[in-house]
Amino acid sequence: MFSLAVKNIFFYKSRSITTFVLIFISSFFFIVYVAMMDGGHSAILKNALKVYTGAIEIYKRGYREKGGNEYLIRDVSSVEKVLKNIKGIKSFSSRYETYGLLASKNYSSAAMIVGINPQKEAYNSTLKDALIEGSYLNKQAKNCLYMGNTLAKRVHIKLHDSVSFIGSASDGSFAADIFRVCGLFKTGAYTFDSSAAFVNRPYFDTLMLSQNMASYITVNVDDLSQVDTITKAIAAKLEGKKYEVLSWKVLMHSMVEAMKVDSIFGYISISLFFVVIFFVIMIFSFINITSRLHEFGLLRCIGLSHSNIIALLFWEIFIIATVAIFMATPFAASVAYYYSIHPILFEGISKTYKEYGIVSDSLNFSFDIFTISWNVGVIYLLSFLSIIYPLNYINKFTPLEASRHV
Amino acid sequence: MYRLIFKLSFKNAFLRLSRTLLVIVMIAVSMSMMLSIEGLYDGMTKAMVNRDKRSDCGEVSMYNKAYRSSRAVRDTISNADIIAKELLKKRGVSSVVLRLKADGLSSTARKSAFSTIIGIDPQAEEKFGKFSDFLESGRVDLSKNGVLVGSELAKKLKLKLGSKLIFSSQDIHGEITAAALRVRGIIETNNVVLDKSALYIDAKKLYGLLGVAKGSATQIALRLDNESLIKTLKKEFKNLDVKSFLELYPMIKQMQEMMKVFNSITFFIVMLVVFIGIMGVMYVSILERIREFGIMRSIGMSYSLIRTQIVTEALFVGLSGYIIGALIGYGMLYYLQVYGLDLSAFAAGLESFGYSSILHATIKVSYFSATFFAIITASLLSVVLPLRKLKNMSIVDVTKVVI
Repeated sequence: MFSLAVKNIFFYKSRSITTFVLIFISSFFFIVYVAMMDGGHSAILKNALKVYTGAIEIYKRGYREKGGNEYLIRDVSSVEKVLKNIKGIKSFSSRYETYGLLASKNYSSAAMIVGINPQKEAYNSTLKDALIEGSYLNKQAKNCLYMGNTLAKRVHIKLHDSVSFIGSASDGSFAADIFRVCGLFKTGAYTFDSSAAFVNRPYFDTLMLSQNMASYITVNVDDLSQVDTITKAIAAKLEGKKYEVLSWKVLMHSMVEAMKVDSIFGYISISLFFVVIFFVIMIFSFINITSRLHEFGLLRCIGLSHSNIIALLFWEIFIIATVAIFMATPFAASVAYYYSIHPILFEGISKTYKEYGIVSDSLNFSFDIFTISWNVGVIYLLSFLSIIYPLNYINKFTPLEASRHV
Repeated sequence: MYRLIFKLSFKNAFLRLSRTLLVIVMIAVSMSMMLSIEGLYDGMTKAMVNRDKRSDCGEVSMYNKAYRSSRAVRDTISNADIIAKELLKKRGVSSVVLRLKADGLSSTARKSAFSTIIGIDPQAEEKFGKFSDFLESGRVDLSKNGVLVGSELAKKLKLKLGSKLIFSSQDIHGEITAAALRVRGIIETNNVVLDKSALYIDAKKLYGLLGVAKGSATQIALRLDNESLIKTLKKEFKNLDVKSFLELYPMIKQMQEMMKVFNSITFFIVMLVVFIGIMGVMYVSILERIREFGIMRSIGMSYSLIRTQIVTEALFVGLSGYIIGALIGYGMLYYLQVYGLDLSAFAAGLESFGYSSILHATIKVSYFSATFFAIITASLLSVVLPLRKLKNMSIVDVTKVVI
């Protein structure tokens, strides 16, 4: 049957070429499209995680839901001891977050002031790399403020200017201080740059009375795909009822859902192409099979069974599909691989997108063998489905009817 | 004669019923899917534009030249009420609202968040953008320290109806000022920025809180019946920063452009594949009957009549597909327009894009007219190649062909 199928493919050249071209185009575009979509999503998530949100964050239960000083973590050192012994954790850092007003002589703005350990944070996030003017915080820093450039513009202050802060300390008392701007950062996330400012923790702790306390502890992992396992491991080691251990999937729920929605629309759009291409392959297969009815009749008359005919036609579509897929896949995979290493840059529109908090102005592709494999599987499936109706059609003819067919 | 050609075309078009039906189904299914996707995507953008216009800037908004970069209370339009009265007299201006905005910090006993307080006149807002439609819960009551809170901000601060919150900011003199407010309603506009940060209070109260003179505003927003008025307003109010909707929401402009490009590419590819499908069937259909055409020419029928017959056959197939596709497509679009596509399961994701969780499609005549011309063109082009082959064969050769 195989050799007969090969002969038929070469004999009915125009049908074979059309089917080959359609499957080739479908495979190529499907693999490249999915790689582009997945790559774009993972780049957005990775960038968002790099800036501030950790892969995992540990809260005292109630902090996210109710908030307030009574839900601060009050034994940071003991939690950190536990984290040191868990495999897969790359780094961790505690943060004390508070909201207050930053005011210059004539201007003020609400701001999120965060007490951080500068060295740990430099390893944990891209805060240090986001420096655009002045210097990043260091261990000895006192009333130094490392603030977002847009926030500085709002308060109308520059590097080395002074700015007053009014907020409340961990015990609910009034907290106020005058900070000096030591450094300005720009992450590209507009909301973050226009609202966040950082202070060295030892100094901030004296102001906020927050020694050994934290709003939460942020954890960075070696392998992001292992985040669920590590989250469970941390939760198991910490007292389950006292703390909440949340992965980025929960912390960035709306972004995860936004990616899902985007994927749904992407698949809806691409399904339109598949439907049309599926029909065209089916039409060409149908034309080919119906024009060979006489041949099938004769084959049946000389002893081939009905299943032999089905096998023959399956071999034909399988061979054409395999050749097309095997030629398209390396080509498409190379494109995906190339752009996964060398992302496409959209310099012209980056400014506009950054204003909306989209950090990345580059389009990364994803190169994932598993994704490519299921893409190939879908194309095979469509190819086989496209000959079911033509097969069903020839089934209606008896061998004699088919052999007499003109 | 043409009646006979017409009859022949009709009979031949449906001679191989299964094959023709496959082409018709292909055209109908792809067309209806394409129309639905196009309508849904356009509907999503249209709804977003409509909500943003109603909840924020209208077709055009005016600011003090310095306000959009400083966002400071001192950069208000001082005679905004007089300007508004002037604007209302203009033909094409359907409504005008004045808003006073100030950025600050909202705090409850447990949580704090950045917010923007917006002083509004509820009656003017109702006329401007049916403000009460945005009410998720509660009522539009701004009396006695009443405040309406953006839905995301309410979630963040865990605010419910009746909750108390403190808003602190800087007044026009640079002094810190604060107000205790009571939540009377939760507002959901699907405008991401407003839902995350807006606190709506009575404008009269905000004038006092910020020490701003009555009649001032940071924004004058206009609803226009005629968008060509924007150019005139820009010329007339040179001392103000006059911005159109798309200038204030550049992302939407880019989205619209990207959507247009995407829809055009989709349209082109789908029509190209449809063309390949029709061409395949017409090619085989003509080749199968090549002897028949030879006989027809032998008995005196001209090539142009045979060509007319084949072209009419292709048009029959194309038009049948178009009519069925248009009917199914319209049905699907109508359903999506009335009932929408419920994606509540992904509400958080959609809201982060500024979409509502139920997506409604829009129906435009251009969807059907553009598809009509494309399908007719594809049908006509699909017979060019087979006709050329037929023309190049001599009558004797054609008559001798055995299929």
